[in-house]
Amino acid sequence: MMKKWLALVLCLCLAAACVPALGEGENVYRSLYSSEVSTLNYLTASTQWDQTVGANVIDTLVEYDAYGNVVPSLAESWETSEDGCTWTFHLRAGQKWYDYQGNAVADVTAQDFVDGLEWVLNPANDSSVEYAVETAKIVNASAYYEKEITDFAEVGVKAVDELTLTYTTEAPVPYFLSCLTYGCFMPAYGPFLSEQGADFGTSNDKMLYNGAYIMSEFQPQVKHTYVKNVNNWDAEHIYIDRIERSYNSDSAIIAPEMVLRGEIDSASLSNDILDDWLETHGDIVTRGRPSLDYSYFYCFNFDPQFDAEYEPENWLIAVNNSNFRHSIMSAFDRIYAMYALEPTEPEETLQNTITPAGFATAAGDFAAEAAFSGTEENFYNEEKALEYKAKAVEELTAAGATFPVKVVLGYRSDMSDWENECALVKQQLEGVLGSDYIDVVLYAGPAENFLREVRRSGKYGLMRCNWGADYADPETWTDPFAENVDSETGLHNGNSYNKMDKMLDTDFEETKAILTEYYAKVAEGKASVTDFADRYAKFAEAEAMLINNALVIPYKISSNEYNVTKLNIFEGGYAGFGITNIRYKGQKVLDDFFSAEQYEAAYADWMEKMGY
Amino acid sequence: MGSYIAKRLLRSVLTLVIILTIVFILVRQMPLEGYFPNFEKMTPEQIKNGLHSMGLDQPLPVQLYHFFRDLITKGDLGTSRIYRQNVPVAEILAPKIPVSVRLGTMSLIVSLLLGLPMGTLMAKYKGKFFDHFGTGVIVLIEAVPAAVYYLFIQFYGTEALGIGMTMLGDKDFNNWQYWILPVLSMSLGNIAYYAMWLRRYMVDESTKDYVLLARIKGAGEGRIMFRHIFRNAFVPMVQYIPTSFLNTVIGSIYIESLYSIPGMGGLLVDVIKKQDNAMVQAIVLLFACVGVIGLLLGDLMMVALDPRISLAKKGGDK
Amino acid sequence: MALLKHPRVDAAEQRATEALKRELSEQELFSVAPFDEAETERTGAESYSYWRSTLRAFRHNRVAMFLLSLLVIIVLFTFIQPLLPGQFDPNLANNTVNAKGQTVPMKNTPPDSVHWLGTNNIGQDLWARLWAGTRNSLFIGIAVALIEALVGIVMGVLWGYVRKLDFFFTELYNVLDNIPTTIVLILVSFILRPGMGTLIFAMSVTGWIGMARFVRNQVLIIRDRDYNVASRTLGTATWRIILRNLLPYLVSVIMLRMALSIPGAIGSEVFITYIGLGLPSDVPSLGKLITEGRKLLTSPSKRYQLIYPTIVLSVVTVSFYIIGNAFSDAADPRNHL
Repeated sequence: MMKKWLALVLCLCLAAACVPALGEGENVYRSLYSSEVSTLNYLTASTQWDQTVGANVIDTLVEYDAYGNVVPSLAESWETSEDGCTWTFHLRAGQKWYDYQGNAVADVTAQDFVDGLEWVLNPANDSSVEYAVETAKIVNASAYYEKEITDFAEVGVKAVDELTLTYTTEAPVPYFLSCLTYGCFMPAYGPFLSEQGADFGTSNDKMLYNGAYIMSEFQPQVKHTYVKNVNNWDAEHIYIDRIERSYNSDSAIIAPEMVLRGEIDSASLSNDILDDWLETHGDIVTRGRPSLDYSYFYCFNFDPQFDAEYEPENWLIAVNNSNFRHSIMSAFDRIYAMYALEPTEPEETLQNTITPAGFATAAGDFAAEAAFSGTEENFYNEEKALEYKAKAVEELTAAGATFPVKVVLGYRSDMSDWENECALVKQQLEGVLGSDYIDVVLYAGPAENFLREVRRSGKYGLMRCNWGADYADPETWTDPFAENVDSETGLHNGNSYNKMDKMLDTDFEETKAILTEYYAKVAEGKASVTDFADRYAKFAEAEAMLINNALVIPYKISSNEYNVTKLNIFEGGYAGFGITNIRYKGQKVLDDFFSAEQYEAAYADWMEKMGY
Repeated sequence: MGSYIAKRLLRSVLTLVIILTIVFILVRQMPLEGYFPNFEKMTPEQIKNGLHSMGLDQPLPVQLYHFFRDLITKGDLGTSRIYRQNVPVAEILAPKIPVSVRLGTMSLIVSLLLGLPMGTLMAKYKGKFFDHFGTGVIVLIEAVPAAVYYLFIQFYGTEALGIGMTMLGDKDFNNWQYWILPVLSMSLGNIAYYAMWLRRYMVDESTKDYVLLARIKGAGEGRIMFRHIFRNAFVPMVQYIPTSFLNTVIGSIYIESLYSIPGMGGLLVDVIKKQDNAMVQAIVLLFACVGVIGLLLGDLMMVALDPRISLAKKGGDK
Repeated sequence: MALLKHPRVDAAEQRATEALKRELSEQELFSVAPFDEAETERTGAESYSYWRSTLRAFRHNRVAMFLLSLLVIIVLFTFIQPLLPGQFDPNLANNTVNAKGQTVPMKNTPPDSVHWLGTNNIGQDLWARLWAGTRNSLFIGIAVALIEALVGIVMGVLWGYVRKLDFFFTELYNVLDNIPTTIVLILVSFILRPGMGTLIFAMSVTGWIGMARFVRNQVLIIRDRDYNVASRTLGTATWRIILRNLLPYLVSVIMLRMALSIPGAIGSEVFITYIGLGLPSDVPSLGKLITEGRKLLTSPSKRYQLIYPTIVLSVVTVSFYIIGNAFSDAADPRNHL
């Protein structure tokens, strides 16, 4: 009898042990990823894939809440000096570094931030995010990087004591806090860093963790597992206990089906299958949160380098004619073109400014600055387009241009949505303006080195370009068009976007006049560092010039893709730049899919709290 | 025999050197931007530094010399720059090779186990129902693009077996059920290939005089089929088995991506797109080595099976 | 094949039998014939025509004939289709007006009487794209096969005939044969700008070597056959020997190789498109249609977009395989008697 009981108890114990580790109440999030990270080293990671790791395993000085407000993280408080050039941060005590198994290794101190920055600025480490340190204008950062000075103590970062850190900038940097969520300002435990050398961040056991999650498993092209760091200072706001990301390069095809079969918790729906999903599973299809990751705009190229068969000289004459540019801008039905990307609600991502609406606020939204009033007249209007066309034909004929003008429309050959968009743009523009006026040529650039091959080398006439903010200030949106002057000859090499500054050295007087004024305005904006309202107004005036002169056609912000997911994205941190948006902290896996209904409510609530 | 193999290997090494040199020069034709994930925001100075640290600023012959010097003296394949920063190439490839070998071997066994009997039976019942049926199956496999039928096998197969669509980590990877569909999908092409050629060779052989002789001597049909015809028909096929194994491994890109199998199949495409020169070179070297060894192995197997062929004659090959 | 008797053989046999029946005397059977110069020049194969026999043998293969007609119809149709009434430009996005009154492309409409196979996700007519794609894919396949054959034959003959080149070609062969074709295909498509020319170049850049080696081996075997030695001693020019004595012998296998490399190239195009290095969007191809269709697998109601191009591709592939094999059988002179 006794034996029987014993056997039964044993069996029960065994059965209990067999129940998988996914115990009751553990919040697990499973998803697929289709592109492997190239490094775990957050001090150099520069693509969003790579930054996902650092974003979730490393805490920064400050972070953003779900509504884009700066909140304390590792720094409990901070202050700036009178002149606005020195920032002092007071660190949270008792924070520790952990290894991948969760064992505490050392305390997190102010020195860790110094060591991290030293690693980034060491040219030998060839960090891909070094540029962001220069953006923040840290004293002597670029001098140290360029080896003009060799003593790191001269660089503007100091550990005053264990828990006090100061940064010194060359000039007041109004957006300084927003730079701090970048990889280059993340801390790293110095002794460990030097011990690992080049191996740092090559696998999950070769780095230390102080953030919301610890990467407990890293099998390249197989699986990433993150477990919650239960000792984190903010552990109560970390809801997902384990994140399992499995690799599958065909995930775009199979992930949606896997979600339905309950094998994973989230999948994004490509444009191709969206219709069908909205029809059959409309109740669980939700969109992402509007994201300001990128602003897209169409650029006219002022330094055409494409093949002679597409008549670059002719294009150069045409593009320098304001009426020609305006005719295209007014003929361009952006909503129609966007149909290839945003078939359901294109209006939601449409932008009439380069700086996205909601990106920066001083007295109000930057994109609603007074300077922008009236710019909308330049957009889609077929009647006006034909008026501009008539004027352009007259002027261009006089200038010696021939018709039809060949408009080389570039796109990346492996991006089928973009390809489709260009097909629509060609058809639409030629439809409005007539193929006797323009001949839109689709130009497929190579897949992997697209930007260099096409945009930087000027092998396009008209093309969709994009820019992502580096910090929370409208200045960041002038960077793509900044003057690029050769230090030896003093001539303009042309910026890498539309090369318009190159026109300053030519005889195209009309363009020259506009550009001279534009660059003067930008300089004024940069010089205005104390009065935000004034600063923003100046930048807005500059940007409005680009639009009113049809130098650049604002287009849209990043599409927020359609998903089926068990996460409520509105619970996660939000910012228009940096790594905040890819943090899992704050989100939780729901029992069922985040429904369309829940989405609507959460979205409305979020918009309200954001103050839109 | 020993001296033949030695000579052959020596020639193979020469071939490998030429292949590597060509690929080395080819990959350096790729644009610079590909070496930097955020080329966009870098200054010319930073780009220069980057190129220097990758050794790309040196003249091509010097780079080539360094590559071969490191390869020969240290057996060093280099370090990955983009695919996985700062990780030695050998370390990246080490866990992947066994996976591919595993998948390739299983698929080879399955294709031989199914393809050879199918070919034999088709030859035996030439012109009868089974022959026509088999031909139909072969034609279907050859004609429908693999990219399409793989997808359907996965979609319906996993549902029928009640397993997950892909391998989500070690647990599934070590579950034999998850290997059924990938191995089967990968074998289909080879099954068709082996069956088709075996049938053809066997039909050719069956009209030869020695078969007639055997029949006159009163050997049973089964014995004639297997002892005489099959053996002779199989000899020319043996030569291709190692090469087809290699092709299977390289061609497994579809399967590996569909089922999340961490093998070599998709790796080459991946690293070429990412412009990871060291990785491209190492993989080409690996594939070329397997190719060269495969040819040699094929010839040796043929010699072992067919006493009429001797290596000395084969070596001339002219 | 053995049952097919040559008509001349039939006639001779008949005459012999008749003669035997009549029980003639020896003198009647054998008599001295006068010398006839014309008669001495006659050979046994006088009325034998290689091509006629080949064609006849081929015509007897009904399956192959059927597939050949089917293929011809498909090829012709790809050219005729755009001329038919009610057809669309394969690159034209067809528009419609949505509920909000905006002009938008007709996205993924199901097949109807206007768009026979429906439209894709930017409103392009799939029926038109299917045939334009078939035309482009066939063009790629045939171009690759022709280049391979042309370059392969010329190089192969040089390789076989010019002894100084033998070492060079042999080494080249060893190298090219050992680089997996996939690698070359990917590298070339990657380095050059995507397009039809790039694709054809990438596929034929190594493909010719196989053909060349085959031709070279045959040249070596045939070059020293007695009739060629005789020809050479009689002072026949080398090019004439190659053209008249050599190439006809190779026709059957060259045709087979070409017939097989056409579907091979079409298949490679599917692969290249799959890995994202394919043709630009205004050049539809079967590979492109299939790659686009694959994405729709999880939408059962849209899956037909994958099925149609697959069917066309399969039919084309099977046809070339079977026609190629049937033709190589038919072209083999051993099968002519």
